[in-house]
Amino acid sequence: MTDKRAAFFALMALTCTALVPVADAQFRNLTVGVAVTYLVLALASFLDHRSRQ
Amino acid sequence: MEDLTLWLVVLVALGFDFVNGFHDAANSIATVVSTRVLTPRQAVMWAAGFNFIAFLVFGTHVATTIAKDVVVQDVLSIGVIFAGLLGAIVWDLITFYLGLPTSSSHALVGGMAGAAVAKAGFDVLVTEGIRKIGLFIVLSPLIGLALGLILTVVFAWSFHRVRRVDRLNKGFRRGQLVSAAAFSLGHGANDAQKTMGIILALLIAGGHVQAGGDVPLWVVLAAHTAIGLGTLTGGWRIVKTMGSKITRLQPAGGMAAESAAAATLFFTSAAGIPVSTTHTITGAIVGVGASRRLSAVRWGVASRVVWAWVLTIPGAFLIAAVSYKVVELFA
Repeated sequence: MTDKRAAFFALMALTCTALVPVADAQFRNLTVGVAVTYLVLALASFLDHRSRQ
Repeated sequence: MEDLTLWLVVLVALGFDFVNGFHDAANSIATVVSTRVLTPRQAVMWAAGFNFIAFLVFGTHVATTIAKDVVVQDVLSIGVIFAGLLGAIVWDLITFYLGLPTSSSHALVGGMAGAAVAKAGFDVLVTEGIRKIGLFIVLSPLIGLALGLILTVVFAWSFHRVRRVDRLNKGFRRGQLVSAAAFSLGHGANDAQKTMGIILALLIAGGHVQAGGDVPLWVVLAAHTAIGLGTLTGGWRIVKTMGSKITRLQPAGGMAAESAAAATLFFTSAAGIPVSTTHTITGAIVGVGASRRLSAVRWGVASRVVWAWVLTIPGAFLIAAVSYKVVELFA
């Protein structure tokens, strides 16, 4: 069974990454930061799911 | 005669602010009502009070963005602003009737853009300003979601050894009073400022304020009064969607959601970015639900919110554009 939550967070990370080129310089770091946060959440969720199996 | 029209449109703008408070009251109070921290009446009064005092805490950066960064100032006229407001109000009322937690802010931006484009074509849109607003249409719910989830996990880790759950819940209920107040403060700051921006644009168009001038104090006070009174009147249809249909909340979850949304609103208000308070709190509530498991979120309801999210700007844009053409016939 796949971890839907990890997939959801990974999708959000991808969405934020796609926004980085269109973000003004002022908000670029914030956008990257949100993308990285979702990537970490995806990884944490994946590990959590695997540890429960 | 032109002055009379201008003041009438100022009244319509304050009416929009009232409807905004009425429509968004649910966002501020849904979690405190659903976790039974306050009765609906107490919660509405609590939120309205903090909506009003927001002007003491935040500047007027969001108002300036709305007045100057959506459409070029040359195109602004009383007719354009009236049609833009009409588009936003009609869209808000349609979605209120349908019980959808849409964004009054996006409706306002869509309405202003629609009316201005109907007058002078797409060249009047300020690309940089719209790009900034567009970026945060996506980012603000995502930041709310991530913060909501992270705070829930932090709470769970910090208090998992506590055996007296009822006592812990009591503490979180008290904490929710603070987080609901913070969220209402952020809501008052971000949403009331949008109306201030509209009135500032009107005053500039009418020659009462110089281009580049600051928001007059009476505008600040009038906007916060209107949103506070709107919140006091409340919108119960949406309380139900926000408070219990997206995910079931406990006091700790309610506090996490409100704190996450408040932090997002504080940041965006200080940076002068008009965001949707509705979508920010929706994202935060989804984040709290997702901290348990993804199936704790009722995705059917959340997807209705997303559809409303996607349709708001085009919907308000179209209504405002048509309204402008009608206004033009009578002008």
